[in-house]
Amino acid sequence: MKLLVGYTADERGAEAIELASAVVAGTKDAFVQIAIVLPATAPFTAIYPGGDHGYETILSAQVDRWAAEALALVPEGIGASVVARSVSSIAEGLIELGEEFEAHGIVLGGRKRHLGGFFMPGAIANALLHSSPLPVFMTSPASLENLREAGGQITRLTAFVGDRPGAEEIISLAARVANARNIKLRVANFVAHADVSEGSAGIDDHVRGIREYLDELVKELGIEASVEVIASGSIDTAINELSWQPGDLALLGSARLAAHRRLFIGPKAHRILGHLNVPMGVIPHLPSTR
Amino acid sequence: MSQEMRRDSLPETNDSGLHEKGLSKGTVGVLGLIVIGISCIAPAYTLTAGLGATVAEVGTSLPAILIAGFIPMLLVALGYRELNNAMPDSGTSFTWATRAFGPMIGWMGGWGLIAATVIVLSNLAAVAVDFFYILIAQLTGQEWIADLTKNLWINIPTTLVFIAIAAYISYRGMNATKVFQYVLVGFQVGVLLLFAIMAFTADAPFDRTPITWDMFNPAGVESFTAFAAGISLSIFVFWGWDVTLTMNEETTDPNKVPGRGATWTVLIIIALYLAVATAVLYFAGVGTTGLGAGNPDNQESIFAVLAGPVMGPLAILMSLAIMSSSAASLQSTMVSPARTILAMGYYKALPSSFAKISPRYMSPSVATVVSAAAAAAFYVVTRLLSENALWDTITALGLMICFYYGLTALACVWYFRGELFANARNFFFKFLAPLVGGIILLVMFFVTAVDSMKPDYGSGSNIGGVGMVFILGVGVLLLGVLVMLYSRVRHPAFFKGETIKTGKNLIL
Repeated sequence: MKLLVGYTADERGAEAIELASAVVAGTKDAFVQIAIVLPATAPFTAIYPGGDHGYETILSAQVDRWAAEALALVPEGIGASVVARSVSSIAEGLIELGEEFEAHGIVLGGRKRHLGGFFMPGAIANALLHSSPLPVFMTSPASLENLREAGGQITRLTAFVGDRPGAEEIISLAARVANARNIKLRVANFVAHADVSEGSAGIDDHVRGIREYLDELVKELGIEASVEVIASGSIDTAINELSWQPGDLALLGSARLAAHRRLFIGPKAHRILGHLNVPMGVIPHLPSTR
Repeated sequence: MSQEMRRDSLPETNDSGLHEKGLSKGTVGVLGLIVIGISCIAPAYTLTAGLGATVAEVGTSLPAILIAGFIPMLLVALGYRELNNAMPDSGTSFTWATRAFGPMIGWMGGWGLIAATVIVLSNLAAVAVDFFYILIAQLTGQEWIADLTKNLWINIPTTLVFIAIAAYISYRGMNATKVFQYVLVGFQVGVLLLFAIMAFTADAPFDRTPITWDMFNPAGVESFTAFAAGISLSIFVFWGWDVTLTMNEETTDPNKVPGRGATWTVLIIIALYLAVATAVLYFAGVGTTGLGAGNPDNQESIFAVLAGPVMGPLAILMSLAIMSSSAASLQSTMVSPARTILAMGYYKALPSSFAKISPRYMSPSVATVVSAAAAAAFYVVTRLLSENALWDTITALGLMICFYYGLTALACVWYFRGELFANARNFFFKFLAPLVGGIILLVMFFVTAVDSMKPDYGSGSNIGGVGMVFILGVGVLLLGVLVMLYSRVRHPAFFKGETIKTGKNLIL
């Protein structure tokens, strides 16, 4: 497995490499492709008075040093290389590089930011979440702490699914990943009371219906997975009721709104992203993945 | 493929990505280059800031001195182009002068460039703030708002905010787009032409002064000191033009586009300057009372006074043009001292922490903050010490540009000393042009520096009988000498020639 890390020479970058290494560890041809993207030089931004003032030379030397530091962060046994490229937009550049290097996903380090009570992914993560044809993995210091507790090993996959046909894709993909790495799989679904129109009796029926549907799916796919359907007052409280263990990795599917083979993160997934304290991956809506 | 193998092949992987310089390759044509050149010169700003001070020196010979000022600029820029082609990897006065003349002079060359750009930053911010309040006054019809800029308790904090915003934008690495520059430049040129037309067609000019051929005759300037001061000011109005010559691989045809773009830019700029300069003379004259361009009250910022009487309600366009051009320049100028400080930190001529690059925005971090802080400090000091801060800063700036440009031009001659007479091209571009240009500028520098010691020089502000311009200009250079001596003790590596080798054919 090969993952492309959008690297910045700070803690976020180091965290992204840590997550990427954990995800690829133990897979066939485990490889971390580190990408340092630079803004394209814009000729119409004239510097007054003229001239580059030697900046390109110094910047490229600095990038070389960052590249060496980044490589040193990748554990033994995992292949790694660095590419540095000037791009017009960072998100688009990462997608291009991901495709060019035939990566199975893009990894970003990040910080949780709350703006007016809402979780906001960074601008770059947000752009990727709405346009990437490749899965996007994200981490934050808290979620990385969870991974470190498990000694940097991923111990379980949790696939978040809706009750919609898209669930099958995510479950089967997650099952293949879990199988390849010999780890457990959990399938989780959240029901917010407000989303169910038939009242409290209706909720029980609704939950039972979903559970049966997911059990059936798991059975049809011939895989082993635990199924958890959690009903609560809101998505937020439902998320908090789900228990986590060290080394968990969450997987979410892209919303149905997404264009074919592109990510698009829905409001519900957005909420989930904001509450998770484990590393997560968002999978585009694909008939099949690499 | 094993990890180690990949790791060994690292430098190659990096080089291929970085040195292709991204998407800008071959995208700028002649028109684009003209737009870049004009935006770099920022004519609306330079005219309002420089015209009054120049009239104070040379009176009605304003058109002549503008033309004369271009000549040393052109000669020096030709030398710049040679250095830029020979050492494209360094690209700054600091490294060029170091390689030609050794660490001490190189250090001062870098300091001169930083000082000049820091001074112009503080002046740009001040002009932007003045016209910010004038614009608000014109928009709201409340004239008292325009006077707010004269209140130091309002003016200084607003200026610091402008500088901080520009530094932040620069640090974030945000770039102006092509469309933005075209609109900004087109608007600026259009408004300046409109001003000239309206001044010449005015029903009742304040002091109608017929335009005569004498105004175009440089020999008509009364004294050599006035001539020297006029030249160093008119260097300022062309400053930034050299960017057109140093753009190569960004252009669609490196053999033709830079030359043509530079020529057209300077023709357009000279035509524009002459149109506006003669319009100002025709409308306002050089009298020292009322709207006269010789009135010291008008000389800080000529359009702040004349735009209203000449353009009537359309003066709001002038305010907008000057504010937008100076604010845009403020941001793009911030890059220049930051990069030079970064380079000096990188080559250990200053503490290494100045060489920090933001890993997120790929821009100088410490150096940008230092530049902004220096510009802010310079502005506050000047504003508090001088009654006519803008005027004195512009004159001091002229001094500083003459110093580092002149030094760099001579560095060109010295750097290429072994091949100057190899052929006619070398003789002209590497020897004659930069030598003459460099000597002219350094002579202007010394004459103006000595002259500016007089207490009545420039705006007439002085401290202990020494002219404010001298204190600002020469004081900043002497401060540079002190900082250099201190650095030499604390960080000797650069001064021993360990980080940049002197002479040719040595890689940094």
